[in-house]
Amino acid sequence: MRSSDYIAHLMTRRRALVWGAVVLLVIACVTILITRLKLDSDVLNMLPSGFSSVEGLKVYNRDFEQTRELTFALLCQPGDVEKLEEFSPQFAEHLRQQPWCERVLAGSPMETPDGIRDLQSIVVPLLMNLEPAEFEKAMSILQPEKIRERLHRLHQQIEAGSPRPQLELEFDPLGLLAPALKPLGQGTAIQEDQPLASSDRTMRIFLAVTKQASMSAFECQRLMREVDQFRARASEGWEGEHLEILVTGRAAYVAEISLSMRHDIIATLLGSILLVGSIFLIGFQRWLPLLGMGFALLLSCLVALALGFLIFNRLNMVTVGFCAILIGLGVDFAILIFGRYQQARGDGESHQGAIATSVAKLGRAVFFGAITTAVGFLALILSGSMGFSQLGVLIAIGILFAGLFMCTILFLFVRERQAPIRHDWLFGVVKKYVRWSVNRPARVLILSTTILLALSAFGFSPSPPLSFDASMRSLEPKNSRASRALESIMHKMPARWEPVLAIVQARDEQELHDDWRKIAAHWSELQAAGKIKSFSTPAALTLSPMWMQKNRERLRAFDFQKVRRSLEETLDAEGFSRDSFAPAFALLDEFQRLVESAVPLPHWREKLPKSSSWWFLIDRYFSKDPLLTTGFATTNAPVATHEQREEIGRDLPVPEVPMVLSGWSFALADLLPWSHRQLLIISGLMAIFDAVFLAFLYRDWRLWVIQEITLAFAVGAMVASMKLLHIPLNLLNVLAFRLVLAIGVDYGIYVVLVWQKASELEHDVAGVIKPVLLAGLTAVSGFASLGLAKNPSLSSLGIACAIGIFWSLAATIFFTLPAAAAAEPKLWREDKTGIS
Amino acid sequence: MHKNILNLVETARCAVHARRLSKMRMAQRAVATITLFAIFASIPASFGDPLSPAEVKSLLARIREKRAAEPQVEADFHEEKIIRLMNKPIVSSGKVSFQAPNKFRREAKGNSPSVTVSDGQQLWIYYPNFKSAERYSLGKRSPLDSVIAAINTALNLENVETTFHITGVKIDPPQAGWELELTPRSPSMKRMFERLHLRINDNLLVEHTEMFQPNGDRIVTNYSKQTRMLIPASTFEFVPPPGTDVTTPLGK
Repeated sequence: MRSSDYIAHLMTRRRALVWGAVVLLVIACVTILITRLKLDSDVLNMLPSGFSSVEGLKVYNRDFEQTRELTFALLCQPGDVEKLEEFSPQFAEHLRQQPWCERVLAGSPMETPDGIRDLQSIVVPLLMNLEPAEFEKAMSILQPEKIRERLHRLHQQIEAGSPRPQLELEFDPLGLLAPALKPLGQGTAIQEDQPLASSDRTMRIFLAVTKQASMSAFECQRLMREVDQFRARASEGWEGEHLEILVTGRAAYVAEISLSMRHDIIATLLGSILLVGSIFLIGFQRWLPLLGMGFALLLSCLVALALGFLIFNRLNMVTVGFCAILIGLGVDFAILIFGRYQQARGDGESHQGAIATSVAKLGRAVFFGAITTAVGFLALILSGSMGFSQLGVLIAIGILFAGLFMCTILFLFVRERQAPIRHDWLFGVVKKYVRWSVNRPARVLILSTTILLALSAFGFSPSPPLSFDASMRSLEPKNSRASRALESIMHKMPARWEPVLAIVQARDEQELHDDWRKIAAHWSELQAAGKIKSFSTPAALTLSPMWMQKNRERLRAFDFQKVRRSLEETLDAEGFSRDSFAPAFALLDEFQRLVESAVPLPHWREKLPKSSSWWFLIDRYFSKDPLLTTGFATTNAPVATHEQREEIGRDLPVPEVPMVLSGWSFALADLLPWSHRQLLIISGLMAIFDAVFLAFLYRDWRLWVIQEITLAFAVGAMVASMKLLHIPLNLLNVLAFRLVLAIGVDYGIYVVLVWQKASELEHDVAGVIKPVLLAGLTAVSGFASLGLAKNPSLSSLGIACAIGIFWSLAATIFFTLPAAAAAEPKLWREDKTGIS
Repeated sequence: MHKNILNLVETARCAVHARRLSKMRMAQRAVATITLFAIFASIPASFGDPLSPAEVKSLLARIREKRAAEPQVEADFHEEKIIRLMNKPIVSSGKVSFQAPNKFRREAKGNSPSVTVSDGQQLWIYYPNFKSAERYSLGKRSPLDSVIAAINTALNLENVETTFHITGVKIDPPQAGWELELTPRSPSMKRMFERLHLRINDNLLVEHTEMFQPNGDRIVTNYSKQTRMLIPASTFEFVPPPGTDVTTPLGK
């Protein structure tokens, strides 16, 4: 028994057995999904691996506290700025009291007594960490004559009315804080911008570190639910006009992205089912086979998803788009198989016989079609992006199963006593067009060639260029509240561009200190040479055990009792209040303790209170692992091109200091060549594969040339449409070109192969153009439904593919068919009848 | 964004430090200029107990009129600064010249002389003993701009009622006159001073001011020999003498 006959037998005589197998398969897949369901919402996993800048971003996002930060912004009307200033402390306190909030930064720590006290508390470790010569110089201020001279001078200045000495004495009574903080000042960019308020005072910023245990999607969703509850009642007590409370931050993004996945699955799947179903219904006017097709496709999705979880353990958010694509592609098989079945029934065959005929005639074509499409999608593995690799593998698995199910399970939904279609208007239209274009190919050819050539010329023309969006915005979710909040904040706050991150990991404290010292020195030279605008490093906060030990030994030379007496006498002589100098006496006591060798060397981490606002600054530089650190170099202009990235890559590193350069702008600029390679080389390889494959398949140079021109027209028109519709390419939708080449070529193959073998044009060619048209439209619909996704990578990829496949279909019908008719003329049946 | 904001926080700390340094200076200037403005006061002879809001408004309107008619004045001053750092008050005296709306010159004499000059855009403080000068630029997005703007508004008495809570009481003879208390409404001004007390004699001239700062410091100033006269424009200009060490604590 032939396999097609066996399948027909199973589908008609062993239906219960087949249903049983289907139920078992569903149970197995659902079990896998329940037990293995793990989703990866990290947008970084959409980017290709193997780039140190991308890996650096992952490290920064994973290991640095900044990921747990949320930025709150209060935005008021211009007339309410005073009210906002008054309301801000109340809001900050309210925020501080939230159970999910660890600490809040509502203003510069220097503006609060606590902030100044905290800074004074770390003066000893910072002083001890000075270079020994600098330490010596700083400590010389404790000589009795220098104490007298300084306090006398400051007293005179106070009497003269200068505000500076009074503040200096309150902040730094002994004169040691300034030299201790000097390295910190040297390693940071000095700006006079207001840090946490907009220049028009209508916006105030609050930074909050949350108590999140992890950055998982569910944890972020839980946190943001609490944050939203807080937002709802946070404006209590506000007496002005509308007060907007904005929130952004990584948790806000993760929560939104993960929630949008649900929307994306439902919207794209329903959109795809609706569009594809409508086209199938219009084409075949049958409900039950439509249901069968939907069932077979959903089963394919389920199997692919289950196998995907088994293979990858966790799936990236972008893979949610595979269902919509699979439906758009898998329906082709249903259309071809069911179309052939209907034709066989129309020719008078029985139900079982028609099934066997359709499987026998098209089973191999469906199988090889599934294989070629699967291979096309498997090529996404070459992208290097985990998200897109998973997408490719899932579609490849799904398309193979779709081919299998369309040849089998679909027929469980086809009734034996189904009447043939009485009036197939679509077939009628197609038949008229085929007859017209076969009889007068020149007219169609001239018209279609003119249009496609013009579009291709416009598309391939360097002017205007197809815009390429390499910005972070191209990867942000659409209609995202967190994104809008960030946009509002960036609009109001002083505009600055993102610095380049330099991540440095050391084995011990001394190495870390030495590394950052070298980096700071090198970056200072770069800044002096005008190669970078500014920089900021943790050099001053990385402790050198070697220097600290040396300085400690030097400390033993001081008689702190004598210093204390000298200070007391000078204060009395100048009329200063001893109580106001309490921090100075405390500092001397601490030095005295350090002289005793049993006391361990101080570390600012232990001195700085956990609640201190200065941790916001420190967390910028230090990860959870104190030996994993980062510095920031602000370039003279935003990093937007690969040339800039190359220049920075040459300038910033220091010999013998392992450093990973990263940052979003830097990483995206780093990926530009990869993206261009995806666009040109990989798409080019696919085109070469198509060319070789077609040459082997057709073995006719004229038809081969026609098919190649068709592909060129399709891609050219696709680019032209993207230019005209202002759809930019981005780092991820460049992958669309290879998919269009892989899928679009199929339509040409169907038509050209049929043309080569056709003996009855009405039966053969018109009979294939209708399914090709329906299949093409369903593929376009499947991809276009991805445009409903909030995930920008998915939606832009879907739209680009939909445009490309549309033009492949159009070029096949309006160029390939008449061109083939012109190259190898054949007579229409009615004409043949007339001649004979 | 977080990085940007944190960077701003971090890198602005020097500016913040400088802002704190300047607050006291600005507060002093505020007191001086408000007081100087009050020297122009020309109040009709009406007596009563605590002034009603309408009476305060009427009083302010007359002060505005007087200032508009005679915008320049000179006076001697005697000032006592009671600050936490010092066991005893710091005493200074000298001469002050003022021209509405925001120009002034203050010359302190004695062992620690100083000259403070503002042309409305810049504020200079010159210390002859140290041959040094401090220069502050006004109106360059400093957080104090709002304070300065509020003070100038007060000096011009434009919307002064919206900037300050103002209360007043009548003083019975022999020291007949009025006492006004100005309490800032905005948090930024509140951070600078808690309240300002003015005493005006029955000739409608200010005799005494007292400013209370949030940290407990206090500045008491007495004025005498107020005269209205034409003052040369050069009085409100300052050019540092050669060899002066000029610093800009708030930056350029």
